Amino acid sequence: MKKHRTKKNCESSGESQVSELLILPDGQILVHNLTPAFAGLLHELNPDDEHISSRVTRHMSPHL
Amino acid sequence: MIRSTISGLPSVNAFKRNATGFGLRREAKRHAALIGADEVFKSGVAAALCHRSPKSRAFLARERARIARAMLADCRFCAHDCGVNRVAGENGLCHAGAEARFFSAQIEVSDELELIPTFAVALSGCDLRCDFCITGASSWNPRAGTGFDTHAMAAKARAALQGSARTIMVLGGEPTIHLPAALEFVSLLPDTARLIWKTNAHGSAQAHELLDGMFDVWLADFKFGNDTCAQRLAKVSDYVRGVEENLRWANEHSELIIRHLLMPGHLDCCWQPVAEWLAGNLPGVKVNLRSGFWPAWQAARHAELQRTVSGPESARAVDLAQRLGLNLIP
Repeated sequence: MKKHRTKKNCESSGESQVSELLILPDGQILVHNLTPAFAGLLHELNPDDEHISSRVTRHMSPHL
Repeated sequence: MIRSTISGLPSVNAFKRNATGFGLRREAKRHAALIGADEVFKSGVAAALCHRSPKSRAFLARERARIARAMLADCRFCAHDCGVNRVAGENGLCHAGAEARFFSAQIEVSDELELIPTFAVALSGCDLRCDFCITGASSWNPRAGTGFDTHAMAAKARAALQGSARTIMVLGGEPTIHLPAALEFVSLLPDTARLIWKTNAHGSAQAHELLDGMFDVWLADFKFGNDTCAQRLAKVSDYVRGVEENLRWANEHSELIIRHLLMPGHLDCCWQPVAEWLAGNLPGVKVNLRSGFWPAWQAARHAELQRTVSGPESARAVDLAQRLGLNLIP
């Protein structure tokens, strides 16, 4: 298992955003504190993943 | 929507029936007088709140924050019921001081679909000691992170609501131990904002009175199905009774979503009794069964927690939920 910590600068505040992910030997990815930016990245990697795509959709259409 | 509105605060008589639970010490009274909140000691928390004419959530939150700050001198916000004077530097089991700190504040999309995107503010410190806590370093240490400037954070939250955020979530650690700061934060937010209280459901009756009507949704953990696992993994006693009491209260006073983090090797001892209790006592309540456990923090101290949840375990857990008719939500 590999643990990663990702940071991305927040455009509005200048503060960093953090997501943490754990990549399992079978290819599964567990994510903690998933930010919209990182959800978008994961969605690009696997557009067929329903767990991620539903969260990306929510982010893009926040008032649904 | 808030099911129990601000006009639904307990009556003065209702408070008097429970008044013995609110015995505050002399230091607390002195501190309250200094900050102008002495009425709470004359007539009790609910009475102090009730005789005013409530105008808005923000107004009530401001009043309650003042009372909560006075209560720091005899802190009984959580079920540990320590009674320490946090203003004077005494430490209870959470080790939190009088001022809150935070270790994360950002828009997130990993919570329940109906809540995201949420602007999530994580306050440092917690009253539990879960060895598997995924934010253990900050949750176990109330001095972690940055000082919680309520005005600055409220400005960020309002900006988030103007952008993509649909809700604002206050979490920890455990936010109950920082009620004064949390309520001050609420007092600076629009009444129309949808607010989420993410909690370990280990709060006291005093905390409930202060929180009544403040948050639209309680997102509450039910972590352990028995007191033995709770004591071994989170060093908390009398866990199940306290959580059940909290969940019943939350279900009557707000929208409620209950989370259970499925742990490897804890289906029979934890998930099954939790699921059965939910089916029998809170039928129809929204339940989010989380299967993304990973062996974080000090989980390695426990042999069964050194791995993730297997596919068959996860499937069995969902099957049990479905057989019991639980209202699972994504």
